[in-house]
Amino acid sequence: MRRGFRFWGLVPAWVLMLGTLLIPLMIVAIVSVAQRGAYGGFEWAFTLEPYRQILFSVGWTDELEFDPKYLFVIGRTLVLAGATTLICMMLALPVAYVIATRTPRMKTVLIYLVTLPFWVSMIVRVYAWLIILGNDGFVGRIWHALGGQGTLLFTPGAMLVGMVYSYIPLMVLPVFAAIEKLDPALLEAGGDLYASRWTTARRVILPLTWPGLAAGSILVFVPALGTVLEPMLLGGGKQMMMGTLIQTQFGSARNWPFGAAIALVLMVMVVIVLVLNARRAMRKEARS
Amino acid sequence: MKTKLTLGVAISTLLAMPAFAEGTLNLYTWSDSIAPELIKKFEESTGTTVNIDGFNSNEDALTKLQAGSSGYDVVTPSQHFVKIMIDQGLLENIDAKDMAAFAQVDDKWKNQWWDPDSNYSIPLAYGTAGYTVNRDEYSGPVDSWKAYFEPDESMKGKIASLASPDEVIGAAELYLGVPFCTEDKAEMKKVYDLLMAQKPYVAAYSSDNIENRVGSGEVAMHFWWDGNSLKTRLDGANIEYAMPKEGLVGWLDSFVVPKGASNVAAAKEFINFMSQEENATIQYNYYAHSSPVKIDVSKAKYTPENAPELFPTVPMEFSRACSPAAQDLITKVWTDLLQ
Repeated sequence: MRRGFRFWGLVPAWVLMLGTLLIPLMIVAIVSVAQRGAYGGFEWAFTLEPYRQILFSVGWTDELEFDPKYLFVIGRTLVLAGATTLICMMLALPVAYVIATRTPRMKTVLIYLVTLPFWVSMIVRVYAWLIILGNDGFVGRIWHALGGQGTLLFTPGAMLVGMVYSYIPLMVLPVFAAIEKLDPALLEAGGDLYASRWTTARRVILPLTWPGLAAGSILVFVPALGTVLEPMLLGGGKQMMMGTLIQTQFGSARNWPFGAAIALVLMVMVVIVLVLNARRAMRKEARS
Repeated sequence: MKTKLTLGVAISTLLAMPAFAEGTLNLYTWSDSIAPELIKKFEESTGTTVNIDGFNSNEDALTKLQAGSSGYDVVTPSQHFVKIMIDQGLLENIDAKDMAAFAQVDDKWKNQWWDPDSNYSIPLAYGTAGYTVNRDEYSGPVDSWKAYFEPDESMKGKIASLASPDEVIGAAELYLGVPFCTEDKAEMKKVYDLLMAQKPYVAAYSSDNIENRVGSGEVAMHFWWDGNSLKTRLDGANIEYAMPKEGLVGWLDSFVVPKGASNVAAAKEFINFMSQEENATIQYNYYAHSSPVKIDVSKAKYTPENAPELFPTVPMEFSRACSPAAQDLITKVWTDLLQ
């Protein structure tokens, strides 16, 4: 009976995985090697053309040339996602530490506050920054009062602010969980052994909260790779990111196979990050 | 056995669901484009429940129909996408020319190139895409696309464009005298060079939140549509919709019925309803774009005197359905531009 349940009980999970993850993924993979349709869509004919297009395209001179423009888009997206992750990490550590050292009652309240933005639609949250950073907004006014020129909006900085704001709860929560498990006695021991506060943070807190930071990094980095809203609304859309590039291919470019190929490349990158991370964690485990 | 029975009942209930959906009509229209008052009126007079989903670009609408079984009964794409949808076999032949609505359509919009036999579409609204200037920020002339594409030094970081190439490239082509949908690389290189030279002046390529951006003076010029510019001006913004002598990019949205729609009868009833003179007038006053069907002029809110935006004094050139080769050049211009 138990055995039966162990199998049947998991069926919904398998169905969900198969129906909503594996099958759609296979469709994307198939489309990425199909012939593009003249007006969008695709035709059943095998070609590696979409992948070739990532590296080589026909230039203005009518010659097939190595064209790194999509590599730049990929690189730019990686840099943006990486920067977002790093800033989130630096901000989340002290925040999570402060929360973890409050009274239980206060902790609940603070954690609730951290998750509060998730109750509001993503678009509304990004629009809020549009208003805050705008010329008539709170930050915009301060900027002008301090003698700043032009607008703060439509800059890489504005985009980064929006990204960090959107994703930081995903970093705070796992880091908080890791810090909470930290034994205060270890910190006291550090102090007793004449470690400065900085050394304690570096040699005791950081290594022990590393699993939380790693988990948080994945949670931030992966969605940041596919982000569309912040670069468009706050960054002014002057430079393409992978999210916008994929959207363009399925939209006005009417080149679904190329869009699918780029999407797969994005996913392979995500998987590489995850595998590297998992291997690192395994090695760490083996060592301890 | 019992579980199987329950499961069977559950599944058959699910399968039977569409039967309950008989009295519903699913619309897929440009966001906020249909007067809510009319939806309510239609629901009350017919007992049909109307659901509306919105799209923000023709490409979205096309992609959704291409993906199959969209579940929509009425969609409102622009002329060049009506043509693509007909060619792709995505639309239901509704014998539009025999519908009551067709009699209401202005003759100049009948049997157009996108639907030469008027089998598939009934026009709903038309207008232009051009650019709007904020008169607090820019006092120069607006009688040419030059002010927008080759701005003077003071406009650095004060211009905004759209997030997609469709109409922007069309406007650049009008300015340069390059034919729409050209497959000539040298011609498109000119378009690219023009847009690239304009880029340092552009603060944002964004199709969202345009009202605020140009209305508040965050930017001095914005690529925009006639009716939206009109509404924002009437709300008090000091803006002007330019009439460039090279021409404006025209568009005309039509009602069409996707192939396999579950409620074709209600869809046609709705299209006829929307085209009745009284309702078309209400729609015109709400949407603030020109009406290709007869309206009651005495009740029309917008006239050439108070709404010059809707009565262009310059030529209007309609966007066309480009060949894949031409579309690739447009995409190339756009992706190279946004590097």
